[in-house]
Amino acid sequence: MHFEGKQQINAPIETVWQHINDPDKVAACAPGFKSLEILGPDHFKPTVAVGIGAVKATFTLDVQRVDVQPPTHAAMVGRGNAAGSGVQLRAAMDLTPQSENVTTMSWTADVTVSGTIASVGARLLEGTAHKLTARFFDCFREHIEAPSAAASTTPGEGPGEAQSGAGSETQSETPTS
Amino acid sequence: MTTPAQAPIHGMGHSVKRKEDPRFLRGRGRYVDDIKLPGMLYMDIVRSPYAHAKIVSIDASKALALPGVLAVITGKDLDAAGLAWMPTLMGDKQMVLPVDRVVYQAQEVAAVVATERYIAADAITLIDVDYEPLPPVMDPMKALQPDAPLVRPDREQKTNHIWHWEAGDAAKTDAAFNAAEVVVQQDLYIPRIHVSSIETCGCVASFDKVEGKLTIYMTTQAPHAIRTVFSLVSGIPEHKIRVVSPDIGGGFGGKVPVYPGYVIATVASIQTGVPIKWIEDRSENLQADSFARDYHIHAELAAGRDGTMHALRVKTIADHGAFDAAANPSKFPAGLFSIVTGSYALDAAHVEVDGVYTNKPSGGVAYRCSFRVTEAVHTIERIVDALAQQLNMDPAEIRFKNFIPPDQFPYKSPTGWEYDSGNYPAALQKALDKVGYQELRREQAEKRARGELMGIGISTFTEIVGAGPSHTFDILGIKMFDSAEIRVHPTGSAIVRIGVQTQGQGHETTFAQIVAEELGLPVENITVEHGDTDTAPYGLGTYASRSTPTAGAATAVASRKIRDKAKKIAAHLLEASEDDIEWADYKFQVKGAPGRAVTMQQVAFAAYTNHPQGMEAGLEAVDYYDPPNLTFPFGAYICVVDLDRGTGEVKIRRFVAVDDCGNIINPMIVEGQIHGGLTMGMAPALFEAITYDDDGNIQQGSFMDYLLPTSMETPAWETDKTTTPSPHHPFGAKGVGESATVGAPPAIANAVVDALSHLGVTHLDIPITPWKVYSILQEHGIAEA
Amino acid sequence: MTATQHVKLTINGQAVEADIEPRLLLVHFIREVAGLTGTHIGCDTTSCGACTVLVDGVPAKSCTLLAVQADGAAVATVEGLEQGGVLHPVQEGFFQEHGLQCGFCTPGMMMTATALLARTPNPSEAEIRQAISGNLCRCTGYVNIVKSIQYAARKMQGAEAVPVAASASTGAEVRSA
Repeated sequence: MHFEGKQQINAPIETVWQHINDPDKVAACAPGFKSLEILGPDHFKPTVAVGIGAVKATFTLDVQRVDVQPPTHAAMVGRGNAAGSGVQLRAAMDLTPQSENVTTMSWTADVTVSGTIASVGARLLEGTAHKLTARFFDCFREHIEAPSAAASTTPGEGPGEAQSGAGSETQSETPTS
Repeated sequence: MTTPAQAPIHGMGHSVKRKEDPRFLRGRGRYVDDIKLPGMLYMDIVRSPYAHAKIVSIDASKALALPGVLAVITGKDLDAAGLAWMPTLMGDKQMVLPVDRVVYQAQEVAAVVATERYIAADAITLIDVDYEPLPPVMDPMKALQPDAPLVRPDREQKTNHIWHWEAGDAAKTDAAFNAAEVVVQQDLYIPRIHVSSIETCGCVASFDKVEGKLTIYMTTQAPHAIRTVFSLVSGIPEHKIRVVSPDIGGGFGGKVPVYPGYVIATVASIQTGVPIKWIEDRSENLQADSFARDYHIHAELAAGRDGTMHALRVKTIADHGAFDAAANPSKFPAGLFSIVTGSYALDAAHVEVDGVYTNKPSGGVAYRCSFRVTEAVHTIERIVDALAQQLNMDPAEIRFKNFIPPDQFPYKSPTGWEYDSGNYPAALQKALDKVGYQELRREQAEKRARGELMGIGISTFTEIVGAGPSHTFDILGIKMFDSAEIRVHPTGSAIVRIGVQTQGQGHETTFAQIVAEELGLPVENITVEHGDTDTAPYGLGTYASRSTPTAGAATAVASRKIRDKAKKIAAHLLEASEDDIEWADYKFQVKGAPGRAVTMQQVAFAAYTNHPQGMEAGLEAVDYYDPPNLTFPFGAYICVVDLDRGTGEVKIRRFVAVDDCGNIINPMIVEGQIHGGLTMGMAPALFEAITYDDDGNIQQGSFMDYLLPTSMETPAWETDKTTTPSPHHPFGAKGVGESATVGAPPAIANAVVDALSHLGVTHLDIPITPWKVYSILQEHGIAEA
Repeated sequence: MTATQHVKLTINGQAVEADIEPRLLLVHFIREVAGLTGTHIGCDTTSCGACTVLVDGVPAKSCTLLAVQADGAAVATVEGLEQGGVLHPVQEGFFQEHGLQCGFCTPGMMMTATALLARTPNPSEAEIRQAISGNLCRCTGYVNIVKSIQYAARKMQGAEAVPVAASASTGAEVRSA
C-alpha cells in the first residue's frame, strides 16, 4: 500500500523537525502504541497493537532512521512481526518552510502487510490503514501547533483496538541511549 | 433375522434409503476429530505470513517454556531424518517443513506438540520466526519471464516452467484453421477456487513402539496409496502401516493429496510413541490446501460460415503454485483436459498446456474437477457459444449441428479418447422441451424490448471418468485398477470390502445394491466396508468419479465369480448338470423346469455344509478390475437467468439438468449427487474465487470473504435423465459425481452473456459477480441507481 | 495458569458440570467435556453453522459462545433428538428425503430445523430456506434438505408423511425466495 500526504503546520520548521525526531512525541500519536524500546539514536523498537476487522495483532517493529538531513528530510525503514502477520514499511518526510511560522510537511509511506491481518482483514485493510494514517498526522499537527493542549488531546486510537490510549506519560519505557 | 423370502432384494435401480444414515442422523458419525486415543497429544502449526521469504531464525524458547508444550518441530529437525521434503503424487517434491525458505503464504514453518488443543494454539503464537521477505511472483505469466523470482531453486532446471504437455495433431489443426471460413478466439481465465468441504483436513497418527506399527486415521480419499507413499518415505514396511479413513465430511478431491500436517504428525508420533492429533482450522485449510483450477486459457475455433465446426486449438498456462502436487495420473499433468473437444465432431484439435510455479500454495485437482474436465468443458462450451454469437446462430441449433451423431459410437476423438457411448441430441432435446425453450426465447425478446435483462444458457458436456486402463493410467506408478472382495456367509448375508472411499457418496448403500443385484441377496443383508488398509483390498480411492466405473465393476465381476461357483453348488443341490442351470429371477433354475430352483441363500448354506466333494468350501471372490476404457457420462443443462439492473445480481430463475450416467444403481443418490454438483458448479460461476495481491496475500482468508452458496442463493434444481449404458462396463454404468460441477458453470456463464449479448458483450470470466455485471450496465448507461 | 470457573448446564436434559477455563468454547465443552461429538466444527468465523445447538430452545452457534456463557442453560444437541429409540420427525425426514450425504453439516442443520418447526409448524419453502441460511452444506445443494424439513413438518402435524418420489424433478413451482 502506498500513502502520501501533505500537512500545513502552523509552526516554524525547527519546531516541526524537533517534533519529528523525538520518539516519544511520535509515539504519542501512533495509533495502538503500546511501548517503545530505544536501541540507539536512530534505531527504535515500538510495539503497536493494530485491529483490522476481526483480527487484532500486536506488532513488534524494528525501525531504523536512514537518510537524515536536518531540518528538511528524514526517512525510515522498518519491519515487524506479530503472530501470523508481518509488516514492512518505508516512509519519508520532507519539510518545507512556507514562512517563519508555517511549515509544509509532505510525506510518503509504503507499507506491505502479510499474513492473517492481510488475508482475513483484506477488505478492510486499506481503508483502515488510511484512517489510522490520517489520524496520526492530524494528531501530530495538533500537538505541534498547540503543545500546551497536548496533555488533553486524546492520542491515537484505532478502530476495534483495546488500547485505552497511548501516551508518553503512561507507557513508553525509559529510554537509555 | 430376516427371512430371505420376505426381505426385498432392491438391487439396481432402487432408491434404497441409505445404510450410512442411522449413525449420521444420531450424531454418531466417526470423523477424525471425534477420535480420542489414550495419551493423545495435540499438534498445531506455525505458518508463514509471507508468500516468499528466507527464514533467518526460529526461536521456540518461549513456546517450549509454556506448561503443557512437549516439543517444537522445525525443518531442521526433519532434515536430520531426511524428511524435510516428501514426494508429491505428481512426481515433484514438496517441503514438509522448510529449512531455509518459505514459498507460499500459510506454508507450514514449525509445529508444536502439546497436551491440550488450546495450549498448542497458544504456543504457536509464542514461536518467533525471523523472516527476510523476498519478492513473490504471483502471476504465472510473470513467472515465465526471465527476471522472475525463482520459486524452486531446489530444482535442477532454474526456471518456473514445470512441464509442457500436448495432445492432438498440430499440423492437421493448422491446416484446418488455414482453410477455415470463420475463426473465433476466446481468452478465458478460470480462477483458483477452494473446495471447502465442511470438514477440514486432519489426522490422528499413532505409532505403537511395542508393535512397531503406525496407525493413521486420516481424512484421505485414497488410503492405500497413502500407505504406500508413507512406507516409501518413512522406511516402515507396509504391513506395519495401517491407514484408516474414518467417516469423512466431504472430500471432492481436496482430501487426496498428502499434506505436510499429516507427515509432521506422523513423525511426532513416531518420535514420542503416543498418538498425535492434528486438525486444521478453517482459516488454515482455506489458505494452505485443497485448491483447484487456476487455468489461463487461449482457445480458437475454426468453422464454416454455416456453423459447422472443424478444428479447435487451445493453449493453456496452468498455475500450479509452489509445488506440483496436483493428483493427476502420471502421464497426464494436465489431467484429462484434452477432452476439450467436447460433444462435437471435430476434424482436428491441438491442445497445449504449460505448468508454471508461482508463490501460491499448491494448486490442485480438487473441487469436483474430474481431472481438469471442468476447465475443458468450460472452454469448449464458452467458445461454441462465442461462435454461435458471431454467426448469429441459436446456441441450441449450433450444437445439434455439430454433435457426434449417436450412431458413431464408440467415437475416436481428435485428441485420442474413445468415447464409449452417447446420445447428445436426445439429452439436449429433452432439456429444451422440459425448460420450454421456444417460449423462453419469446419471453426474452419481449423483455429485451422493455429493457429487462433475461438470459438463457446451454451447456452440453461430455465427461470422462473412471481412470483408468492400466496401459495408460497410473499414479506414481501404481496402476489405477480398483477392487472388491466379497464373502457370503452360511446364512446368506454377505460382506463386501472395496478399495474406494466414500466421503458422502453413499457407497455403503450403492455397493451393497450391486451385490444384491448380482447375487440375489437382500440389500439389507449386505455390509460394505472400506477405508481400512489392513482389511480392504488395494484400491486407488475415490475421486474423479471413478468409483462406480472401477470398483463398481470389480464388485460385479467378483459377484459373478461367486455366481460361477454357486452355479456348481446349485447343480449339485438340484442334482442336475451345470449346463442345465441358468440364473434367472435371482435364482438358479433348471432350464425348462422353473419349479426346480434354489436361491443364493440356499447355495450359500450348502457352500459350508453340503458342497460337492472335491470343491473348496466357502463362497467368496476377489476382483481387481482393470477398466478397458474410461466411461463418458454426458448431459444437457439449460439455465435461465434474470439480471437485476439495480444490483448486478444474477438470479437463476430455472436450471434444468438432464444427465446421462448409463445404468443407475440408486436414483435417489444420483439425484443427490447432481444437486450437490450443480451447487458446486454455481459457486465458481457466481461467487467464488481465490485471489492474491501482489505481495502474495490471499484475499479470502476466511468464510467471511470466501462465499459458499447458502440455501438462499441455491435454486430449486430441476433434474431429469436419459440412459445410454456404457457398452464395456459390467452393468452399463458410468460415473456421475462430478458431471454437474463440470456442466453447470458454462451454462450459467452462457446465460449471463446471453442476457447482455445485445449490448455487445461476448464473454465474461467467472465468477460473474454483481459488481462485474453492474459495471457493464453502468458502461452501457442502463444501470439503475 | 488461568483460574478455572465452575459451570453447570444441562445437555439433552442431563446435568453436566465441570471446572473449566473461562475461554473454553461451548462447542469444545460439548464435544470434549461432555463427550458428545455429534456437534461439529466447520469454520472459525461463525459462518458455517455446523456447530449449531439449541441454548434454551434458541439455535446458537456453539463455536461462538463460551461455555461459561451457557452456565445454567439447557442445551440441546443432536444426540438428544431421538427419544426412547424413536427418531425425531426431523431425523426421519432427513432419512426419507436423502437430506444428508457426508453427514457433517447434518446435526447443526437438524437442530436449526427443530427450532424452526417449534416456532413455525408449517413453514413455506422460503421460510425454510431463510431459517437454514446460516447452515452451510457442500454436498446436498439444499433441495433435499428443504424436502426433509417439509416431511418433518407434515409428520409433526400428524399428516401422513409420504416421501416425494426420488428422481422426480421438483418442477417450476418449488422455488427459492
